[in-house]
Amino acid sequence: MSAMKKSRILICFLLAFAWLPSAAAEPRTVSGRDGRTIEIHDTSRIVTIGGAVTEIVFALGHGGDVIAVDQTSTYPAAVKSKPNVGYMRALSAEGVISVAPTLILATEGSGPPDVIDILSGAAIPFVVVPEGYDEQAVLRKIELIAHVLDEEERGKAMTDAITEDFRALQEIRDRIEKKRKAVFVFAVGGGTPTVGGSETSVDGVFALGGIDNAMKAMSGYKPAVGEAVLAAAPDVVVTMIERNHGLDAETMFALPAFTGTPAARARRLVPISSYYLNFGPRTAHAARDLAASVYPELNLPALPARAWTSVEDAGGK
Amino acid sequence: MYAARAVSVSVRGKTLLDGVDLRLDPGRVVAVVGPNGAGKSTLLKVMAGERRPDEGRVELDGRPLAECPAAYLATRRAVLPQSIDVVFPFLVSEVVSLGMPPSLTARECNLLVERALDAVELAHLGARIYGTLSGGEKQRTQLARVLAQVWSRECTYLLLDEPTSSLDLAHQLVILRLARAHAASGGGVLMILHDLNLASMAADEIVALKGGSRIASGRPSVVVTDDLIAALYGVRAEVRGVPEGPFLLPQTAQLPD
Amino acid sequence: MSSAASLPVARSRSMRRGTTSIAVSGVLLLIAIVASLAIGPVLIAPLDVVGIFGHALAGTRPLDGVAMRDAVVILDIRLPRTVLTVLVGAALAAGGAVLQGVFRNPLADPALVGVSTSAAFAAVLWIVFGYAAVAWLPSLVAGFALPLAAFLGSLISTILLYRIATHEGRTSVAMLLFTGIAIGALAAAGTGLVIFVASDQQLREFTFWTLGSAGGANWQKIAIALPFFLALFAGSLRLSRGLDALALGEAEAFHVGIDTQFLKRASIVLVAAGVGAAVSVSGVIGFIGLVIPHLLRLSAGPMHRPLILGCILLGGALLTASDIVARTIAAPAEVPVGVVTAILGAPYFLYLVHRNRTALGG
Repeated sequence: MSAMKKSRILICFLLAFAWLPSAAAEPRTVSGRDGRTIEIHDTSRIVTIGGAVTEIVFALGHGGDVIAVDQTSTYPAAVKSKPNVGYMRALSAEGVISVAPTLILATEGSGPPDVIDILSGAAIPFVVVPEGYDEQAVLRKIELIAHVLDEEERGKAMTDAITEDFRALQEIRDRIEKKRKAVFVFAVGGGTPTVGGSETSVDGVFALGGIDNAMKAMSGYKPAVGEAVLAAAPDVVVTMIERNHGLDAETMFALPAFTGTPAARARRLVPISSYYLNFGPRTAHAARDLAASVYPELNLPALPARAWTSVEDAGGK
Repeated sequence: MYAARAVSVSVRGKTLLDGVDLRLDPGRVVAVVGPNGAGKSTLLKVMAGERRPDEGRVELDGRPLAECPAAYLATRRAVLPQSIDVVFPFLVSEVVSLGMPPSLTARECNLLVERALDAVELAHLGARIYGTLSGGEKQRTQLARVLAQVWSRECTYLLLDEPTSSLDLAHQLVILRLARAHAASGGGVLMILHDLNLASMAADEIVALKGGSRIASGRPSVVVTDDLIAALYGVRAEVRGVPEGPFLLPQTAQLPD
Repeated sequence: MSSAASLPVARSRSMRRGTTSIAVSGVLLLIAIVASLAIGPVLIAPLDVVGIFGHALAGTRPLDGVAMRDAVVILDIRLPRTVLTVLVGAALAAGGAVLQGVFRNPLADPALVGVSTSAAFAAVLWIVFGYAAVAWLPSLVAGFALPLAAFLGSLISTILLYRIATHEGRTSVAMLLFTGIAIGALAAAGTGLVIFVASDQQLREFTFWTLGSAGGANWQKIAIALPFFLALFAGSLRLSRGLDALALGEAEAFHVGIDTQFLKRASIVLVAAGVGAAVSVSGVIGFIGLVIPHLLRLSAGPMHRPLILGCILLGGALLTASDIVARTIAAPAEVPVGVVTAILGAPYFLYLVHRNRTALGG
């Protein structure tokens, strides 16, 4: 055999070996409930549960693999046409199985636990994505999902970009000299507003946007005593436009809970979209937009557009 | 022996019965008469064991009634109430079967139901729904039920609360005949009656109550007097008097045989 | 007038109607069970379903692939779910029949009169406050505490209902319903309050409790609730004679030899046990306890032995059929089964009210 031919064979051999590791790649593993290890072999049919999870999967380029979503996933537009598995805490085991997924990526808190057990028993990996209401939570979600989808590079690029965004956000916050107080109204039931207190996603977004949560004395989403809202004297009322059709400034400030508050006097009602609260990849942008609405006079600079922020919204549900 | 001794009952300060004695012996028919509110129904309820007297007591077979369990009482005495409405769509035959002991077979039960409905002339209505019956038919159904209970458990005593109130003359006579037949076979019958004529016809003893007290008792010929009627009803009447215009005495009526 | 001709007709009409109705109910139940095993969002061919059962009986299971998934669907999802809906439907219907017998009122449905809601309240209270106390016990044993708590909740509310709504042995429809609404509202408020106070993780969803769902069915839950159901079924059949007599009124039932105090107490305890256990495993499901006994009284007659037997069979059939609808109509999502029973049952309830308007004072 000629030397040239030998070296060619060698090169082919080496190349083959170079490919071999990825072809015979170990399945990715994730630790699951009760410390069990979940192996991910196939990510071609994914059910995503939770708006943030869905956005991240699309942003990492695997939107085409998503075969069904939950009812909080409204972005990007492509999800509108996907089957809906319903509310994340009340999943139907057989319903999920019927869409023949090979992987389920679910935000922490999905359930019920019996359904998760059944799905695991059906050899469908059920990966729980931890929830949290700060920058680190967003980054961890991306890292975990990138790891599961074997998109570590794209994931890193995303987290780098988002870390930058958060730093820019910090600078934006530094421009705020005097923080304003806001109250987030989740819904109004019979004249009593349900508001977001501490330990909620809205509290996290407020913090990121340099806004004081007027209701931080209470925790969770709860109906608030009218007087407590009054006493907190919010400067701004924030509410979700998709959930509360017809809850305009007129109606909101007619509520006794808001009478006489600075927000009512200035009629400052800031509408937000649901994605502001999902702590997904658009969180920094959402926080910036929120800050811009609350401090319009500061002319806060916009954050650079990213690939995942410019895809069309599917519209509110 | 089945007797109430000095029973008194009062409700919210109102006296319904005041120290009343009543004795019911096998082989005798006792009729209790009196105006409304005299305490007749209350007395029957006390005798039946349905109501505890506030004072005094009832004895049956030598035992105080209060110590007898319901199941035992059902084998000794049967009670016909004034009226019964049933909420659910029971058939007449099903209602009649409600008094019978669990030990009967379905066949024995059927036979007794049949006999009882025959006795009250309701055999043709066995498959009707009880709720669709007239007042009189309901009353007879209840009587059939009571008879079925008496026969299946061999009750000695029969307590009847106004068994003739909704019935026409013919059926009133049927009831009286049944009562006398029961007494003739060794049973004791206690009947509350409004009609003094019927009481006079059927009873061996009439007990008159007024305002919760026993004011007279004895054989009909002795008790039914002008004075008693005046005392009971505050009405002047003539026993044995003949009025102007037509009048009919049930005493002269006869059932075809 | 030949009495001999009509009586056997009457009696055998009564017996015949009981037997036919029970037979028909049994057939409907079988159909519902088969349908529930064969139908669902995952399409599995009937032959495959049979095959899976065949293998399961032989002790084997496919280990991977579509066959494995199908086996999971049939054996781990649909089978326990079907068993659960049959038992819960039976318990709710039988419980309704007994409750109606005790109150002598055809509108006494456990959900309508607050009994189910109170069970849910007690269950929720236990989950939030009491669970930790028994967490150290093996889960099967600790699991018993939940239906037990629900049972206590139903018991207290039924006793309360009886005390308030029954006066001198008679219960008016109005009193029954108003008292039931009040008790139900109280229990619902209590449930809301507890959920308000508790953290999410401790509770299954509020809608589970208020609208019911068979989605969480598993063998452990069934095993835990089963003794309560069996107690209701067996106990109520034994009490049927007494309940029949009670239809004449308490005084009359006493006269024919029934210990009415014991009868009422035992009935209430049994209903509380069955309904409590049902609520603890599947939330509040309404109208089964109203519709089924009513239908069966019309077809099988009101004698409680055939009635309760029929309720057990037909109640199971109806809830199982409702659950099939609940899990296929919005697939891959699931509609709470209580919504389906309400859609079926509420119009029927309105019809009942209309038909009984004179009795109800309308």
